[in-house]
Amino acid sequence: MIALLVKELLSHGFEAVSLPDGEREIDGVYIGDLLSWVMGRAQMDNAWITIMTNVNVIAVASLADTSCVILAEGVEMPEDIVQTALEKEVNILRSSKPIYETALQLAELIS
Amino acid sequence: MNYSKTLGLVSTGIKMKELSLNILDVAENSVKAGASLTQILLTEEGDVLTLEIVDDGCGMSEDVVRSVTDPFYTTRTTRKVGMGIPLLKLACEQTGGKLTITSVTQEENPAEHGTHVTATFNKNHIDFTPLGDVSSSILTLIQGHPDTDFLFRHQIDGRVVELDTRELREVLEDVPLNSYDVMRWIGGNLQEQYEELSDDGHSGEE
Repeated sequence: MIALLVKELLSHGFEAVSLPDGEREIDGVYIGDLLSWVMGRAQMDNAWITIMTNVNVIAVASLADTSCVILAEGVEMPEDIVQTALEKEVNILRSSKPIYETALQLAELIS
Repeated sequence: MNYSKTLGLVSTGIKMKELSLNILDVAENSVKAGASLTQILLTEEGDVLTLEIVDDGCGMSEDVVRSVTDPFYTTRTTRKVGMGIPLLKLACEQTGGKLTITSVTQEENPAEHGTHVTATFNKNHIDFTPLGDVSSSILTLIQGHPDTDFLFRHQIDGRVVELDTRELREVLEDVPLNSYDVMRWIGGNLQEQYEELSDDGHSGEE
């Protein structure tokens, strides 16, 4: 099995919002918007799909050490938070698709 | 709301999706700040829930107060401090409420210092996080810190549920607050108070 790298998502319709470390591997997916919940459950190297866009997202991604955050539904992340993500080396991608479709697409790419 | 689970004292693992667990997190900060008394005050009036956590700990400088709402301040210094304040801020702002923190350091006022965290919530907002089992949070705090005092007061439209460990301590003298029987009594007492509150025809539930 060849690992899926974060940067490879760019050729599958995902858009880079912040990509300080595109070489990270994605070995699973976690989905959730309640940050306190995600914080204790997302696994290292997961791609985390959410629609939340506040600065705590960056902190949770950093604590859980996810390989990237994927903003679904094309939600916009404020520019200052994108800056924080770059500083903290948190990868963020965006998909225009809803969460379920985004997850399906990732499932296909990972398998 | 179901308060009958109150005696499930032992922390039930990570289930941080209720405000009660957020309260626990922030109150732990008070204990860490060396508070001898931590007050946990919940006031429900109409659609508004106000949560206050007031301690007489060492306090924080203005700069620190400004930075505690920044998740990276806390996660950077000691990862263990956690995201208590940032998540509380998010939870209340999501409902159109707000978070304010005032603090007086020990240097500023040796006689009267400490931190006062206030979060307001609009209970009818669709993104309001349920309060959850506050009694369990209070019990967990007492269990973990039997030598510091807690005052818990939950007012719902003028009716009150209250627990003051200073009063218990006076009665119990040398019996530790976290002994099994005392914990059981506290859990039962809180449950009783909540039951009385809802028997009065007022809803003690969200």
